[in-house]
Amino acid sequence: MLDKNKPVVPDEWMDKYGFVPPEVKILAKQALAEYDMKVFEMKLITTKPDKGGAIWRLETSKGTRSLKLLHRRRARSLFSIGAQDYLSRRGARVPALIPAKNRKLFVDLGGKLWIVNTWIKPLTQASKINPDGAAKLCYGLGEFHKLSRGYRPPFGAERNSRLTRWPDYYQKIINKFNWFRVLAQTYRDAPASSHLLSVLGRIEKQARTGLASLRQSAYAKLAARGEKHWGLVHQDYGWSNAQLGPGGVWIIDLDGVAYDLPIRDLRKLITGVMDDLGEWNLKWIKGMIDAYHQANPIEPGLYEVLLIDLAFPNEFYKHLKEMIYDPDAFLNSNTARLIQRLMKMEESKGSALRELRNWKGGRS
Amino acid sequence: MKALMIATEKLPVPPVRGGAIQTYIAGVAPILGEAYDLTILSRTDPALPKSETVGNIRYDRVPCGGDFKKYRQETVNFLKKESFDLIHIFNRPRLVRAVREAAPNSRIILSMHNDMFNPEKIAPAEAAFAIYNVERIITISDYIGSMIKGMYPQAGSKLHTIYAGVDLNRFRPSTSEESIRIREALRKKYRLTSKKVILYVGRLSIKKGVDILIRAVLELGKKHRDIALVLVGSNWYGQNKTSDYVAYLRSLAKRSPAPIITTGFVKPEEVHQWFWAGDIFVCPSQWQEPLARVHYEALASGLPIITTNRGGNPEVIRTTEKLIVETPEDPKSFAEKIAVLLDDPLLCKQMGDEGRRLAEQMFGWTRVADEIREVWEGKLSGAALT
Repeated sequence: MLDKNKPVVPDEWMDKYGFVPPEVKILAKQALAEYDMKVFEMKLITTKPDKGGAIWRLETSKGTRSLKLLHRRRARSLFSIGAQDYLSRRGARVPALIPAKNRKLFVDLGGKLWIVNTWIKPLTQASKINPDGAAKLCYGLGEFHKLSRGYRPPFGAERNSRLTRWPDYYQKIINKFNWFRVLAQTYRDAPASSHLLSVLGRIEKQARTGLASLRQSAYAKLAARGEKHWGLVHQDYGWSNAQLGPGGVWIIDLDGVAYDLPIRDLRKLITGVMDDLGEWNLKWIKGMIDAYHQANPIEPGLYEVLLIDLAFPNEFYKHLKEMIYDPDAFLNSNTARLIQRLMKMEESKGSALRELRNWKGGRS
Repeated sequence: MKALMIATEKLPVPPVRGGAIQTYIAGVAPILGEAYDLTILSRTDPALPKSETVGNIRYDRVPCGGDFKKYRQETVNFLKKESFDLIHIFNRPRLVRAVREAAPNSRIILSMHNDMFNPEKIAPAEAAFAIYNVERIITISDYIGSMIKGMYPQAGSKLHTIYAGVDLNRFRPSTSEESIRIREALRKKYRLTSKKVILYVGRLSIKKGVDILIRAVLELGKKHRDIALVLVGSNWYGQNKTSDYVAYLRSLAKRSPAPIITTGFVKPEEVHQWFWAGDIFVCPSQWQEPLARVHYEALASGLPIITTNRGGNPEVIRTTEKLIVETPEDPKSFAEKIAVLLDDPLLCKQMGDEGRRLAEQMFGWTRVADEIREVWEGKLSGAALT
């Protein structure tokens, strides 16, 4: 029960470097008192001021650790805490959760959950400049997905699942493309509007084709196998949340995990890398898919869904969605150039995917 | 006859925190309480005692924290202590089994206000059990009845539409001195004095079609210099986290030649004042809506109404069929219909008068209570929906 006289973690606070509100500092100290360790030093590493989350690095009598204030609702945090514990027990390279004195894996304080993790060191970023680094991350991702299978959330946790929502998500983006059109028409005088209007038809068609392909694909059957069968996706997997350490790839920041088809993470990683490269590079993609496949084999139906998700104009949406908030500021000449670049990317993606459709690679 | 009405686990009765079902029960209860020994079961609330008798109605409130399963258990506990001749359950077919088991000899009536019979809300076997065990299923629109019948044909002979009601004293045309004063004050406060005010009342949601209405006003504003759109009950500034949809609406509104304003939260007991301040009422719903209460409120307030052909909404618009929008996804179709009213004040007046007359004949709580009485007395024969 929340006591009115006790401090509560605010939902958001001022965005200032290295800042958390005083009540959060007090709560952090209280949380640490629940653990069997002496804290010599405590350093704020990062904050989520817009959501009310934070991480501290701790030097303790038991070694280096971290304290994390999870910004999500308690029931939602329970889901990710359970997942981290499950993964770590199964030997995944994720930080181990340190139990509190009462043997629980979290402290419930100020309306939020707090956890203490081991601090993995040394960690180094995988190389971003050659396909090898990307392949290593993909292999680590496959391991993670495989070990997450069979996860069942603890009692009282709110299940976080996107497994059956793909068609809804596609539809939502298609609707947003229509908003883009209406706004570009309403802000016709803005520099990027005519550029946007001239390409939206193609993008919308691509998105609609994607939704139709998804419906005809093995997706529904695959999703019907259920959450336990597929396990979890990380949802924010990349060069900072996955790093090279003792024994292989270590994965941190698990609080966004959700049930989903595993290739969702792989797709995001691939499109992110292609975005950085500035064009769709077959050599890189093949290396990434192969590496993933070695750790967690991709069956043909799932590969088909991966290609559909790669073909969907995800990046076009991601880069332009902010226009909804302030079209006047967003639809400027920089955005006009951005749209040109995004369309070039879509073109190079098209030819890369045509080749990938017939490619068996290491998956045979 | 000893009767029990069971509200949902979400909100208490009387509707100190709003709620369509709670308002409905509070509207008919005083009238039913004259003829029956009436108890109303709902959830606890910090502002209300656990048990009280007000006038001829007894209120019992059980703790459940809004959780359905707890509420169901508490309902069973309640029924173990006391028996009733008739139990009227509101919008929770999933309560029927538990109620039937706890009260094997009571007559059970079920009222349906939305899609709680859909397969994702109740398992088909449990739905069938509920339908079998209730004497009547009252629905708030033919649309809701037809949806239930579509899924469960066996419900057909039990279904009966009883349209909801509205407080005809509170919602009335702005003809009294007080209402005219409030109308003028609101219009002055929001700089609408010389405007023809198009009124929307409800949440800012995709399903409700607020974006389509704003786009219609963008179109209309080019020609009609004297219009304004007022979105009552919501606020697009001052929220911590703006949703994409609200951001989209705000961006559309920013380019509108006509003023588009939000009022922010309006207390349920004050919302009738905005109907006084408005000139044309529009409900741009895109979804198959059960039947939005705002229609009764607009009718009773004597406003001309434009609504869509979705769900049960057009059922209560008897006099103005030509102002029902058949293609609600198209802003132009709204612009055209609104323009008809803008250009014809006489038609507005006529429609408003007819709406008020209809509301007085059909949509007072007395009529609703009388129809519920017929059901309770078992006087109804045959099916309303065949």
